[in-house]
Amino acid sequence: MLKINDLHYAYGKIQALNGIDLELEEGEIHAVIGANGAGKSTLMNCIAGQLRPQSGEILLDGEKLPGAPHLVVSKGVVLVPEGRQIFHNLTVEENLLMGGYTVKDRAPGVRKAFEMFPRLEERRRQRAGTLSGGEQQMLAIARGLMSNPKILLLDEPSLGLAPLIVNDVMRIIQQINSEGVTVLLVEQNARKALSIARTASVMEQGRVVKTGPAADISKDESVISNYLGKSKSKKSSGEQIVP
Amino acid sequence: MFLQQLINGISVGSVYALLAVGYALIYSLLNFTNFAHAITVTIAAFGCYWFQALITPNLPASLLAGILVAIVMGIFIELFAYRPLLVKKARRLYLMIVGLGVSILCENLMIIVFTGRVRVYPEGFPTDSINIFGASVGLIDLIILVVSVLALVCVELYIEKTRTGLAIRSSAFNLEATALMGVNTNRLILTVFIIAGLLAGIAGTLLGAKYTTYTSLGTYMTNKAFIAAVVGGLGSLPGAVLGALLLGITESFVSAYISTSFRDLFAYIILIVMLLIRPSGLMGKADGDKA
Ligand SMILES: Nc1ncnc2c1ncn2[C@@H]1O[C@H](COP(=O)(O)OP(=O)(O)OP(=O)(O)O)[C@@H](O)[C@H]1O
Ligand SMILES: [Mg+2]
Repeated sequence: MLKINDLHYAYGKIQALNGIDLELEEGEIHAVIGANGAGKSTLMNCIAGQLRPQSGEILLDGEKLPGAPHLVVSKGVVLVPEGRQIFHNLTVEENLLMGGYTVKDRAPGVRKAFEMFPRLEERRRQRAGTLSGGEQQMLAIARGLMSNPKILLLDEPSLGLAPLIVNDVMRIIQQINSEGVTVLLVEQNARKALSIARTASVMEQGRVVKTGPAADISKDESVISNYLGKSKSKKSSGEQIVP
Repeated sequence: MFLQQLINGISVGSVYALLAVGYALIYSLLNFTNFAHAITVTIAAFGCYWFQALITPNLPASLLAGILVAIVMGIFIELFAYRPLLVKKARRLYLMIVGLGVSILCENLMIIVFTGRVRVYPEGFPTDSINIFGASVGLIDLIILVVSVLALVCVELYIEKTRTGLAIRSSAFNLEATALMGVNTNRLILTVFIIAGLLAGIAGTLLGAKYTTYTSLGTYMTNKAFIAAVVGGLGSLPGAVLGALLLGITESFVSAYISTSFRDLFAYIILIVMLLIRPSGLMGKADGDKA
């Protein structure tokens, strides 16, 4: 459904993507795991049209995906960005309405979002900036669904959430997928991501170093030692504080 | 006397508000001060004047013509001065400098073409005064007040009630995330420049009628509006209106009870005091790369 060929992206001199090949099949959840700075967000932002890759191509059903965010949305590909990026100055409901900007009648979408996330309905008139981290993530996902995407790109939806909430988020992603939305899931929480994905890729320094069924990836020796080891969070173990 | 000065002050303040809201709108989306705003005001007054002089002295038609000229000017400035820099993701300071350059360039061109001469609309507003609770108020001041308030209310309704208005509010918080919602942000930015141009056009044509039309009209008036926008808190629309009214009323009372020559001095005193005690203004937003 979504096919990425030999994608390169550099921020000035920093080469963030160094020839990415990736394929996303219709109806699946594909997990992309990798350490900090591997280039996962850069990849997502290239697909979403926020960054323009220097070379390579991104194909949706064989057609080149346009290079501007609003046109990518019109093709049914929606990014829920890293750090949620909800509009703190708007109410919960207004955030949802923004998500449905391209949709004529937004009422059914809002109703569906509130069915899926009852906590958001209780807070519909509240400023989104006052929500808890978990609620903000739910809102970001609900907002992403408002335009009825074919493909949902999720960049680290578990970032900064308590383990119980992470489970909720993963369950929601499975539910969205079971309703027919194809999902590309970028996660630091490799264990959780692999447990719900059908296929997966491992990124290292701007390259995809492994790809295959999620079950195989989670049995891979180097994946186990690098991403599924004892430490629960890569974020804290991967970074060292230098005085 | 008091009531008369109060109404005068609110009337002047409402024109400042038209201009200050234009600054605030663009600032809230793009985090820089559009110093080319001045020239759209001047050009509106000249558009109105020349329409009357050359085509027909019909007042409403010439006001509309002047406003239209300002809108076109706003569109040109965005497309040809700012957009190339925005596409390159240039620092905000450069945008501000370019705007300043455009304004100075255009003003000097106008001085060359039209000379520094002061012009009076062939067909102006009635100069009568009317009596409100014993205060004698110029009809022109009332017209300016009513038109400005109507324009501000319309803009407020547009921003609060429409789909595009919601997108303007969301992009004031996060322009990139707004694009991810399927919004063509280039078009949204253009829309904001059109609104700012419209408001500048209304202000410019009315000011040309109240005072006279001259090449530095826009610069003089937008300086005041800029002070109002900063005092109110750059980027905040209610702040801009509040700052503008505060400034207009202060100026009116200073002129009446102290001296007209102290009027501009007080405007800058308010600005400096505000920057010293509350740099973000009455209702300003947080920091970042801004100019
Ligand atoms: N705006 C930027 N300017 C310069 N370099 C950047 C920028 N954004 C990212 N990079 C660099 O590009 C590389 C890839 O970053 P990216 O954000 O894609 O990684 P990531 O895999 O998403 O990491 P994380 O798990 O921490 O989110 C990193 O080396 C990073 O320092
Ligand atoms: Mg990332």
